[in-house]
Amino acid sequence: MYYSISTTLIAAFFIIIPERLLSQNDTIPKTDSVLLKQIEKQLNKESTPQVAQTRTAPSVLPDIGVIGDFQTSYRNNAKRNFNAGIHEAEISFQSVVDPYARADFFLTIGKDPVTGKFSADLEEGYLTTLSLPAHLQLKAGKFKSAFGRINPVHPHALPFISIPNAYENYFSEGINDEGISLSWLVPNSAFYQELTVQVTDGPIDNPSFSRSAGNRYLGLAHLKNFFDLSPNSTLELGLSGITGANYFDLRTNIAAVDLTYKWKPVRYNTYKSFTWQSEAWFSNADTSKSKAVNTFGMYSFINYQLSKRLFFTGMFSWSNKPYSVSAVEKSYSLTFGWYATEFQKIEIEGMNITRNIEKGLNQIVLRWIFVIGSHGAHQY
Amino acid sequence: MKLKIIFILLFFIASSTLNAKKVNVVTTTTDLKSITELIGSDKVDVFSIAEGYQNPHFVDPKPSYIIKLSKADMFVTVGLDLEIGWSPQLLQSSRNPKIQKGSDGFIDASSGITLMQVPSAINRGEGDIHIYGNPHYWLDPVNGKQIARNICDGLVKISPENKDFFEANLKAFNAKIDLKLNEWNTKMSTYKGSKIIAYHNEWCYFEQRFGLKIVDFLEPKPGIPPTPTQLVKIISEVKGNNIKVIISSPYFTTSSSEVVSAQTGAKTIILGTSVGAFDAIKDYFDLFDYNIDRLIQGLKQ
Repeated sequence: MYYSISTTLIAAFFIIIPERLLSQNDTIPKTDSVLLKQIEKQLNKESTPQVAQTRTAPSVLPDIGVIGDFQTSYRNNAKRNFNAGIHEAEISFQSVVDPYARADFFLTIGKDPVTGKFSADLEEGYLTTLSLPAHLQLKAGKFKSAFGRINPVHPHALPFISIPNAYENYFSEGINDEGISLSWLVPNSAFYQELTVQVTDGPIDNPSFSRSAGNRYLGLAHLKNFFDLSPNSTLELGLSGITGANYFDLRTNIAAVDLTYKWKPVRYNTYKSFTWQSEAWFSNADTSKSKAVNTFGMYSFINYQLSKRLFFTGMFSWSNKPYSVSAVEKSYSLTFGWYATEFQKIEIEGMNITRNIEKGLNQIVLRWIFVIGSHGAHQY
Repeated sequence: MKLKIIFILLFFIASSTLNAKKVNVVTTTTDLKSITELIGSDKVDVFSIAEGYQNPHFVDPKPSYIIKLSKADMFVTVGLDLEIGWSPQLLQSSRNPKIQKGSDGFIDASSGITLMQVPSAINRGEGDIHIYGNPHYWLDPVNGKQIARNICDGLVKISPENKDFFEANLKAFNAKIDLKLNEWNTKMSTYKGSKIIAYHNEWCYFEQRFGLKIVDFLEPKPGIPPTPTQLVKIISEVKGNNIKVIISSPYFTTSSSEVVSAQTGAKTIILGTSVGAFDAIKDYFDLFDYNIDRLIQGLKQ
């Protein structure tokens, strides 16, 4: 399908452009690129072996990257309907510390939606061991919790702009907390299994969990199961459980399941792909010593790569609120992404949220993500 | 007496088990796998993460590869940041100290290779420029000797008791390269200086070894898909230089090269960039047999 569309488009181009353009070399823009210089050099050179060249000087500096996130949006139910500007800038420093550990730091400079002023924050900063025995790995510091599929991923790497409304109702922008994490690669030869256990202080400003003044900490366990269905398709099934203090300084327990199917043909993996990802969670929140509220939330999306640069994502989410089973919210969104290179993408998204208690919302957001420097790869 | 026989039997069983223990190797590409198998023979068990028909720049770091890496004694990488987008993450997640960078089990196959196209300045405006130089060095069979040397040294460190065996295989590998190189050079002698077009800038080592001249690339800059403007330029160059062949790789679509072919009559040839790219390419020697035969077929026209 892809080939026929591309061939048709390119063929159409040749039909549309004037025939004379093909014969006039001087109309072709000249470039001073290194590539062109290399080609010219190769054209002129004799086929003699090249002189050995020295490699780039080694450096002990960490990999440094800066990610810009420019957004412009329209929201119908807002005091200010139109907004535009740098939504966030992320600065990363990543390096191996010594043969035993590596360190990753992510600083964000975000805009306060009320005052419009920028402030810096430590989004993540952690040490990861590289050589513990028994296939164990320890992480210590501030990090995104290993809860489900969306939570560990930085927003710029997601294939949509707005976090699923259901997810935001329960976890805001995600659980990002300080503490320790121990993961174990289960010795299973049949398929990949990783068990992660984390104990953290408890997040600040999270709808489901709060940082307790007392000795209540956030405990999390996540079991990741990954199956290769074929060389081109994979399935991931994750099970998560979290327990911690809530807004009432009582306990909230959440059980969650995530399921991700991916299809990516090995040969043409840069041209075509399909992902279907879903998460669902059940919350049991104590609101008083004698009362607990049981609620539910879920989202599901498909992401389809139309061509090397074009992506499309359709998403649906449904949820209660952490402390209200009577509140029901639904959202639908469509996102189109154009990926210029691995270092730049532009996305436009339309979203509709319906709520049975509050007013609904329609919004259109345009996001432009760009990266300079070096930025580590994201998880599969 | 019976006890003695049991001890002798146990000794032989234990020693044969120890001798049978193979070195578990994971390589990033099939070319490195092939060379490791040629050097290690029955004393190695090798798994390649990338397939031969896959773009080695863009391998998906599937967690299932972590299982293989967690059990590996040795990891062989092309290096020069070719696998920067996926192998560091897999290595870190493997929790295997034996194969981390700096360990005896981490082998950078590019060590000692004379690199081409090392940039004097880095600017992403020029596309996917590799800061250490062009990383497709295994496409020169003479570089295969240095790769084999690096792999042999790695195997000797891990399994010193088999040093003589690995060294003998290395010697045989080098001798076969020399022999085949004569054969390949003889075949290509008529076509030295032939001008061709390539899709991506990954053939400079092959070009230099066999005396070809790559005039231009379908990609306007490395990693940037062909644009109509670039295709117009290529068509003009193909016509102006009487170019007969456009070479591409199995993991690039042929829609752009077919447009050029349709406009100029130049033939698009898909060459193998790695072992396993096509069924006929079963080892490192087959890679050059296949590519040279296919290229000559195209240039003959």
